[in-house]
Amino acid sequence: MAVANQDITKEMFLPAEIDRTENERVSGEVVSVWKDAVRRFVQNKGALLSIFIVLLIVLLAVSVPYSHNYDPTHQDLNRSNLPPRVSALSWVPFLNGQEDGIDVYQQRGIKKDFWFGTDQLGRDLWSRTWEGTRISLIIAVIAALVDVLIGVTYGGISGYFGGLTDNILQRIMEIISGIPNLVWIILLILVMKPGLIPITIAITATSWISMSRIVRGSMMKLKNQEFVLASKSLGAGNARIVFKHLIPNSLGMIIVNTMFSIPAAIFFEAFLSFIGLGIRDPQASLGSLINSGYEVLQLHPYQTVYPGLLICLLLIAFNLIGNGLRDAFDPKLRH
Amino acid sequence: MGRYILKRIGYMCITFYVVITLTFLSMKMLPGTPFQNPKLTPTQINQLKHYYGLDQPIAVQYVKYMWNLLHGDMGGSFQFGNESVTALLMNKFPVSLDLGLEAIILGAVIGLLLGIIAGLHHGKAMDWSTMIFAAIGTSIPSFIFAGVLQYFLGVYVRAFPVAGWNGPSYHFLPVVSLAVGVVAEIALFMRTEMVEVINQDYIVTAQAKGLSRFTVVYKHAIRNALIPVVTILGPLTAAIITGSLVIENIFGIPGIGSQYVSSIVTNDYPMIMGTTELYAGLFILSIFVVDILYGVIDPRIRVSGGQA
Repeated sequence: MAVANQDITKEMFLPAEIDRTENERVSGEVVSVWKDAVRRFVQNKGALLSIFIVLLIVLLAVSVPYSHNYDPTHQDLNRSNLPPRVSALSWVPFLNGQEDGIDVYQQRGIKKDFWFGTDQLGRDLWSRTWEGTRISLIIAVIAALVDVLIGVTYGGISGYFGGLTDNILQRIMEIISGIPNLVWIILLILVMKPGLIPITIAITATSWISMSRIVRGSMMKLKNQEFVLASKSLGAGNARIVFKHLIPNSLGMIIVNTMFSIPAAIFFEAFLSFIGLGIRDPQASLGSLINSGYEVLQLHPYQTVYPGLLICLLLIAFNLIGNGLRDAFDPKLRH
Repeated sequence: MGRYILKRIGYMCITFYVVITLTFLSMKMLPGTPFQNPKLTPTQINQLKHYYGLDQPIAVQYVKYMWNLLHGDMGGSFQFGNESVTALLMNKFPVSLDLGLEAIILGAVIGLLLGIIAGLHHGKAMDWSTMIFAAIGTSIPSFIFAGVLQYFLGVYVRAFPVAGWNGPSYHFLPVVSLAVGVVAEIALFMRTEMVEVINQDYIVTAQAKGLSRFTVVYKHAIRNALIPVVTILGPLTAAIITGSLVIENIFGIPGIGSQYVSSIVTNDYPMIMGTTELYAGLFILSIFVVDILYGVIDPRIRVSGGQA
């Protein structure tokens, strides 16, 4: 071989230079937990579509009250039980103002359009539906926020301090959660009289429990890890450890759980309206609209259709967003 | 195990006692009055209050109520001419139990089948369609399904009676509306379990032994996947009770659900208390049974000290 004939001299061998900084270099982009979660969430088409739907509904619920034809409480028996009519779309069945082939608008000489029709008292259902959506959303969001506040505090104290504190708090919780939430909610509303605030309080009364369980579990897992020990040995106090280390590390789970408690609150509000413990007239919520629509379901189904459709859309969308977030924050749970 | 059961029974009693006390106290704090007839004079109202024992101190009423309750006497209903609440509940409970059980059984059978099929075809069309159905089924409340079914199958097609409870054909719509949520919940849970179990080593072992696909799926996979499904029976009972309140109202079923709603509207205290306690008792009992059952079925839980 040609190479073998060459003289191999000692000078040809040099010690390789080792660049110690090379060991520390990270190849590729640094991906934080949050970035990673966002990246995964964006890939979930169902969840993205759901966010779009929720945003659209929220936008309408917020903006419709400022439009010129907004009038959720005006009663006029001359225009009671009008079917929906949108003049521009009169070729679409169900939007042409006809019921059983009769043009009710013409019959009664009404010029104005009622996009979602009117109810038994002649109130505009377009306005009432969005008013109802707004109230349902307000209840749901407040309930979810109170959930976070109570659940994180209770679960955090229980999980972080452990021992006797944990034992007492857990025994109390066991009894609270042993009572079905239906019973809690109905009793609380009966005592406080139906209204926006009592309904919110009643819904929150039991829903914080699952949040506190999750936070407690995550606190117990995290508090024994090395980075907490390191922080402690550097002299960090309880408050700093909890707020700087433990809560940020459990934030993903807290957000996911909040997302699931919103549809649960919307459902319970509608449920309460259904059994006569919901928002009272002249105020409206999606549940109370569906409930009053049911009374005339067989004659005027359109009165139930729009609020019913909205509540379904909201519940499905929020659940899909919740699923998407859960998968995004914890890919291990992905099925 | 014995100690665990005793502990659970202890908790069960405490919880039930708390429920009874809470119900009693909240009834005493209620703003409304059951004597709403405007024709009643103040003297008559006082006489009525005296007759029902509502003029005594709360502590006395409480002890009396508990004592009577221990003897199975929940007082007389205000809206049904003082008829015994216990008798009223006993009369109407079988109807609700019937509805609830039919919904759970139907929901469990279909839900398990769907879940197993979806789990076996993980990632395929069958799986996706089940998942979409389950997402919709768990999100949409039963009263919406009830409305849709009632309108299309009852009013429009006239295939089933719209309301009432007089025979098998009357059961279809309410039972199906209640069962949709159960099907979705169980299918989703069963599917997750199946997917997990199928990837276990013992399934590979079973396949390596040369067992037929049927034996592997039926004897090894399904049996193991079924165990955790027992745990959702507790929450499902609660969901069925909640749903039955509305469903019974929509379909005019003479059970305790529609009874409960009407007693809330009329401030019928003894009836509200009786029904609340019955519901709470059912729920607490179902949680207890599920806990014990889970320990019995899955020996791993028993060994690890009953931490279900």
